[in-house]
Amino acid sequence: MPAVREVRTAAQADQEDVFYGQTVIMWARWSVIVAGIVLVLWTSTNVSLLTQTMPFFLVLMAVNFFLHGRYVMGSPLNRIVVIVASVIDLVLITAIVVLWPGSHGLHNQFYVLYFPVVFAFALVFTRRIEAAYTVLAIVLYLGACVFTATVPFDFGSDDKVLVMRLIVIAAMGFLGNYYFRIQRDRLARASRGDNSTVAGMRGGVAR
Amino acid sequence: MSTTRWNPAHHLVSPDGKWYWDGVAQEWKAVATPAAPAKAASTPNPAAAQPSRGLSSFTGKIRSDDLAYGQTVLVWARWILIGTGLLLSFWGPKDLLTLQVQLAAIIALAFGNFYLHVQLLRGHPALDNVVYAASLADICVVTALVLVQTGYPSPVFIFYFAAIVGISVAFPTQMTAGYTLLVVGVYGIICLATASVDDHPAIFTRLLTIAAVAVCGNLFARHEAQRRADAIRIHGELLDEVEQHPSTEPRTQPAAPAS
Repeated sequence: MPAVREVRTAAQADQEDVFYGQTVIMWARWSVIVAGIVLVLWTSTNVSLLTQTMPFFLVLMAVNFFLHGRYVMGSPLNRIVVIVASVIDLVLITAIVVLWPGSHGLHNQFYVLYFPVVFAFALVFTRRIEAAYTVLAIVLYLGACVFTATVPFDFGSDDKVLVMRLIVIAAMGFLGNYYFRIQRDRLARASRGDNSTVAGMRGGVAR
Repeated sequence: MSTTRWNPAHHLVSPDGKWYWDGVAQEWKAVATPAAPAKAASTPNPAAAQPSRGLSSFTGKIRSDDLAYGQTVLVWARWILIGTGLLLSFWGPKDLLTLQVQLAAIIALAFGNFYLHVQLLRGHPALDNVVYAASLADICVVTALVLVQTGYPSPVFIFYFAAIVGISVAFPTQMTAGYTLLVVGVYGIICLATASVDDHPAIFTRLLTIAAVAVCGNLFARHEAQRRADAIRIHGELLDEVEQHPSTEPRTQPAAPAS
């Protein structure tokens, strides 16, 4: 019996999701690293501050060099390591929000770093894992704001701003994973050679 | 639309007729409908002979198929923007002018998005140019809200992220880059004109993260297009092998969609 090449098993699909998705997460992490290093260099007012904050980003950079190198060499890390690294990203960003000199919690402007990280994660993992990660990001940011006592909880403008930010973090996760599931469905149908849906859509587009 | 369809008159074809030379990608690609001439001759349905019905509809670079699928993300991103905008507009309005501008912009966006959503539900995704224009309208609305709320201090700039997410996964790379540059440029100018020097690091972070979201989304979309192309190529090779060895049972297990 001649060997028949497998089209694509479910297990292979999962592995591919992590393989291809890793690069998206890594680029999101690079954006956080670049932002962090630039901010540290830009906002440091004395040598002590610079020497205390920069090593944190250098370590993160070394980790991402390692992960990116593994990916380029064709041996990416497994799902658990990717999840752990992504959780560390959230912890780092939360630390920036809480500890950054000058403004803390809700008044810290670096909460935007959550957005690319949550979005990239949502493009890689299935709905339950993504939902858990997005909820974790929301809880961490909410906790950072509460911990620093920067949210009055009086339904005023600060609360409004907080709600707005939490909604957008949730939207990043939802939209990313929604697109991920659309792509999984397309890929599954492509693997089966089923072309009816897209052909139908193309007919609609042509109108 | 910029779809590149398989057309035997426009491509160099391999001697066995199964491959054609894609001059843009500089590589041989599988002919979209294997053994099409024979099947077309025996099929009375003229639609079956149309190249657009072939497997090639799944493959290739980002193009209108991707835009059609990405439209759903764009529409949902816009609903999030509309819903959140309405909620926040009624939450402690500051002055009449701001509220008037907010509500007018959001309601206009809602009507437009309703039209696009209905088209999707009917299975007739909107024309490419309509989708491009709608995304431009998203950016204009968010920019208007930012301007009304005195630029840099406005918290509504984060809705740029929702808009860019949809754009990055739905649009081709060049369009994504163009829209992202537009957002970064316009919002950057607004911020620089309305913020103090101390706020420049925060402005930098905002602009960088907007660009990062665009890069991540578009990178993923490109990977997915490549994966579909690979899946179709392997599927074609499998069919060839089965045709050559009819007694062989294919050991295939197509992947199930992610839950």
